[in-house]
Amino acid sequence: MAALGFLVALVLAAGAGAPIAAHWTGHGPNEQIDAAVGADGVPIGPLGRAFKADSVTPNPHGDVFVLGADTIGRDMLVRLLYGARVSLIVAVGATGISLLAGVIFGLAAGWFGGLTDAVISRAVEAGMAFPALLLAIGVAVVLGPGLVNVLVIIALFTWYYPARIVRGEVLRIRSSTLVEAARSIGATDARILRRHVLPQVTAPLVVYATTVIAGNIMFEAGLSYLGVGVPPPTASWGQMLSDSIDSGLFFTAPFLAIVPGFALVLTMLAFNVFGDGVREALYGDAT
Amino acid sequence: MTGAFLLRRLAAMALQFVLITFLTWALFYLLAAKTGANPATRIAGKAASPEEVARVAHELGTDRPYYVQYARFLWGVLHLDFGYSYLQRRPVTDIVLPAAGTTASVVIGGAVLWLLIGFAVGTIGALRPRSLPDRLSIVIALLGVSIPVFWLAPMASYFFAYEPTQGTFLGVPLGSAFHIFPIDGYVNLREHPLAWAHHLLLPWLVFALGTGGIYARYFRSLTLEQLAQGYVRTARAKGASTRRVLLRHVQPNTAPVIVTLLGADVGVALAGTFFVEKVFGLPGLGYVGLQAIRSLDYPLTAGVIAFAAIVAVLANSIVDIVHGLLDPRIREAPL
Repeated sequence: MAALGFLVALVLAAGAGAPIAAHWTGHGPNEQIDAAVGADGVPIGPLGRAFKADSVTPNPHGDVFVLGADTIGRDMLVRLLYGARVSLIVAVGATGISLLAGVIFGLAAGWFGGLTDAVISRAVEAGMAFPALLLAIGVAVVLGPGLVNVLVIIALFTWYYPARIVRGEVLRIRSSTLVEAARSIGATDARILRRHVLPQVTAPLVVYATTVIAGNIMFEAGLSYLGVGVPPPTASWGQMLSDSIDSGLFFTAPFLAIVPGFALVLTMLAFNVFGDGVREALYGDAT
Repeated sequence: MTGAFLLRRLAAMALQFVLITFLTWALFYLLAAKTGANPATRIAGKAASPEEVARVAHELGTDRPYYVQYARFLWGVLHLDFGYSYLQRRPVTDIVLPAAGTTASVVIGGAVLWLLIGFAVGTIGALRPRSLPDRLSIVIALLGVSIPVFWLAPMASYFFAYEPTQGTFLGVPLGSAFHIFPIDGYVNLREHPLAWAHHLLLPWLVFALGTGGIYARYFRSLTLEQLAQGYVRTARAKGASTRRVLLRHVQPNTAPVIVTLLGADVGVALAGTFFVEKVFGLPGLGYVGLQAIRSLDYPLTAGVIAFAAIVAVLANSIVDIVHGLLDPRIREAPL
């Protein structure tokens, strides 16, 4: 329940909270405030104050940086909230594309069998054998950075898991009396797939989807961390982390790495707990 | 039956090998040459005349038909020849093999640690389900899968390998950390075994935590399953101690499953260490691969990826074959 509450709060924070925070603090997500970085290059910490050079009228809320400023003087809180949008888009988008591809290939392999099955199954096996993250980075470099590319790459390196689940389920259902009965009253392949097979595949897919969302968020954060994910200046948690770690500034100003790190860990934890809950609700406590 | 199983498994392995080499080649030789710079132009340099570029292209073989180029790549890989690095101007194999040694150090040490963690925590949980240690182990497992390595690694290096001098968080100065471990670097095992372990202990811990949590859950559910079997009751009725039941009766039944999981996970881990390698400055496969990708050194990139994928396929296939030879049920199941 707590996990679900956190996720709802996260969606609200990313959707509505981000512009509200930007308005309240008067800091845009990509706006650099020079005064927020000290002469020694260390940005101001949480609850620190810094004024914009060009501000004619001071902000009524006191130009406070609630979570500090990043390495080039951008507001961490505002960037954190805008970064949540990227994580959520990836959570929904990449998982969705991957599931869609998985269902299509899994259905085809399980239902048609023969050569179709052989080709798809070998592709699934090859996919699972590949060191996915390293290859994904290679593909990301060849394709270039971008949010859409990130979604496509994550789907490209995850579709085979749902495909394998769907194929297994379809093989089981295809030989059941249920399908035989449907066929005997003259149902077409398309109708059987839509009305009898797909509904039975849904439960394992929902369980799979909820457990994999956290992994996909981590995937995007990893790509952005390595600089081949969502291109700057768009805020993303992985990139906020790498900014602080690669510059070495987190050794002197640890909040730079702690803030986005905690956001990432809490979100992953919430999705993982939520996924466990869904699995327990659908299948009982199978440990 | 055994012969047929072996043949089928080896054929599957050969097919995976061809698919892997083809995909790597298509991505880093075919696609990369279309989108980025032409390899011949890169090697010949900016000031080269068209004749010189053509001559280099001929030497590299990039003027040949694609199927010939792929066949040459495949032939090379079979002989552990991955071509020449654009940047370092030496054979990719000379770069990949030492790096693989470093990565193997990280992965094998990490695997030993995560097995130990998983076995200890999972067994405690299975012996006393729903007890406090069991619930604690579930929380730790959950944390393990939720904490990204690329965050855990710098945090660990901050708290255990770096003495903060002016670190503050929310205005509170952070207490002095324990400067126990070296912050980065790698020492060859043959040169100095103790320094080798000292340099790798922190990477191993960081690397093993997440997977250890997952393995604790595997061990727990497998052991619970076995403890409910009749043979355990028989052994107990004969007066066998818990220790004896676990080690002599349960463990031999859980081991094959764990070995299979390990085969797959070690393969995946081979390419998953690069965050650890990057943060701790260990010159392993991931580190080399990442640098190659960033500098658009495609032969080196292709070499690292193909090498890691082939090792993963080999590990998987060997484990599957051993498992199949030990367990006839696996052997006769459709692949």
